[in-house]
Amino acid sequence: MKKGNKYGIHRVIEPKGVLPQPANKIDNNMDEIYDNEILIDVQTLNIDSASFTQIEEQAKGDKAKIAEIMLGIVAKQGKHRNPVTGSGGMLLGTVEKIGDAIIGKTDLKVGDKIATLVSLSLTPLRIDKIKDIRSDIDQVDIDGKAILFESGIYAKIPDDMPANLALSALDVAGAPAQTAKLVKPGDTVLIIGAGGKSGMLCCYEAKKRAGVTGKVIGLCHSEKSTQRMRDLGFCDYVFAADATQPVPILEKIEELTNGKMCDVTINNVNITDTEMTSILCTKDTGIVYFFSMATSFTKAALGAEGVGSDVTMIVGNGYTKGHAEITLQLLRESEKLRKVFTELYA
Amino acid sequence: MTKACRYGTHRVISPKGTLPQPAQKLDNTMTIFDNEVLIDVTTLNIDSASYTQIKKACNSDAGKMEEMILSIVEERGKMQNPVTGSGGMLIGTVREIGPNFPKNKLKIGDRIATLVSLSLTPLKIKSIKKLTPLSDQVDVDAQAILFESGLFAILPDDIPEKLALAALDVAGAPAQVDRLVTEGDIVCIIGGGGKSGILCCYQAMQNAGPSGKVIVVEYSKENAQRIVDMNLATDVIVADATNVMDVYGKVMAITGGRGCDVTVNNVNVPSTEMTSILITKGQGCVYFFSMATSFTKAALGAEGVGKDINLIVGNGYAKGHANLTLNIIRESKPIRELFEKLYV
Repeated sequence: MKKGNKYGIHRVIEPKGVLPQPANKIDNNMDEIYDNEILIDVQTLNIDSASFTQIEEQAKGDKAKIAEIMLGIVAKQGKHRNPVTGSGGMLLGTVEKIGDAIIGKTDLKVGDKIATLVSLSLTPLRIDKIKDIRSDIDQVDIDGKAILFESGIYAKIPDDMPANLALSALDVAGAPAQTAKLVKPGDTVLIIGAGGKSGMLCCYEAKKRAGVTGKVIGLCHSEKSTQRMRDLGFCDYVFAADATQPVPILEKIEELTNGKMCDVTINNVNITDTEMTSILCTKDTGIVYFFSMATSFTKAALGAEGVGSDVTMIVGNGYTKGHAEITLQLLRESEKLRKVFTELYA
Repeated sequence: MTKACRYGTHRVISPKGTLPQPAQKLDNTMTIFDNEVLIDVTTLNIDSASYTQIKKACNSDAGKMEEMILSIVEERGKMQNPVTGSGGMLIGTVREIGPNFPKNKLKIGDRIATLVSLSLTPLKIKSIKKLTPLSDQVDVDAQAILFESGLFAILPDDIPEKLALAALDVAGAPAQVDRLVTEGDIVCIIGGGGKSGILCCYQAMQNAGPSGKVIVVEYSKENAQRIVDMNLATDVIVADATNVMDVYGKVMAITGGRGCDVTVNNVNVPSTEMTSILITKGQGCVYFFSMATSFTKAALGAEGVGKDINLIVGNGYAKGHANLTLNIIRESKPIRELFEKLYV
């Protein structure tokens, strides 16, 4: 077997010298694998929701056209990175072959069912046939193969829950795992975008960590998600507001915290212009964790300086050690979470 | 006097509901609210991106540049360049202090530099006294308002005002380095040869101590040589920070494959996020000071290579940052001389 690079640079065709994610084309020949790669027999692609929405719109909802666009992307790039949104997704499959150099170093064995937790935007992929497109949950069943690099992260699919349920939660595994690290007993925590998929997991985890002496506040947008969060009962307080309007939210948080503001604010909302709301609602010794991909770096950096806030602002990292285990465990612990996830996403 | 908002939203004319920075127009009436400070302004230090844009638009004609600055302030009530969105800082004398401004911080007659951006500071210019296309410091006869949340530094007696202003402009960077770096750490400063880079190197060398390492990655050979001459790093790499694998290879060679505990990114060019992430150890931390940082490139990049590291958005403010930075100017004669030569 040929020797491979940890980050998969050996698969980059052009431009040379870049990593697989920014590359325009990568080698998706699966007949032979490098010594540190894992070959996966792919069953389902979970396309990133921004990417799937764009493809669906372009195809005007026609499934044959969706299949054609997806095959076109992979034929051109050797991976499923949407050329408009730049995003990928995840996949579900079975381990078919393991490179010589990592046998014994990885806990995987041939036949294991896994989900890859690195983006499809950097994963070498070959699609032989598209079998079924489930538009409502962004999932596509295929016949095909993919490569996991040595640095690539994955989770074994557990036996005690349906694969699709596990996949929907693993998709946002970083958020609740980071919440678990950040929130301490007694903290006041604000979750912006509490009603969404990652928001619900964050609220549950935040309350668990903050404990009875802490307080978890959930900010939702729609009436429907607000009601759902209230019914779930994870938060001490839930309210609906437009997160792009800092002043009314600031006043509400002042009232709820007796002017003390929040120790930790977690931003999960995928719309622009919510940076100032996040900063102002947080104590100036506190932490803002931005999970939203709509976050503007300059708005956050200049915004905090502009109001003289010494807050620590962290760029959401979708990966942290143990994130898959933490997230799957939440679905086991909470009957309510499992039920709502099964209804909405699986 | 009227009761007012800590962040100055009472001065926002349009659009309503926003904070002073994103606002189109501020009320620049120079009568203070109960929690504000009135400043007699002598010098504006226009942000360099903004000044360059104005200079280009006016073909370096000083008269036209004056006109352009006056019209921006006339229209918006603040010196926020409509193209770049950026502001700058100012120097002035405290004229009046509202009774509800935090007590004992300022007295009338103090010489101060404001450390919040001009892009959110109500300003009214009576006349421009001196403007040369070469220097972004513009002498004016003007007045400005500091909000209750506004940051400032009292100018010291032992450092010339313009030198202090040049250093305070990047005060956040060395102050954050002081918090992040502890003894024995391996630190990499990308873009270490510039103004904030030099201050970061100095602080990192102090904190990392003899058992630590400070590695500088610098594009310009001249700037790299200066770091070597001034003894501000243990290792200096001349490289293009956008070339990920080149920098990665060199840093790994120096660190024996371990990578860095703390990486500080000061370089104002795009696409250096992956370089910063790859050279940092698992559980380490990357501090992004560069305004050219892309949030999504950083977030997806770390996940893509499975790196469990903290990625932090550079905050230009940290408690005590002005003092720490001025102290570096006092302690280090070579840095003081260099800054006097380059920026004053």
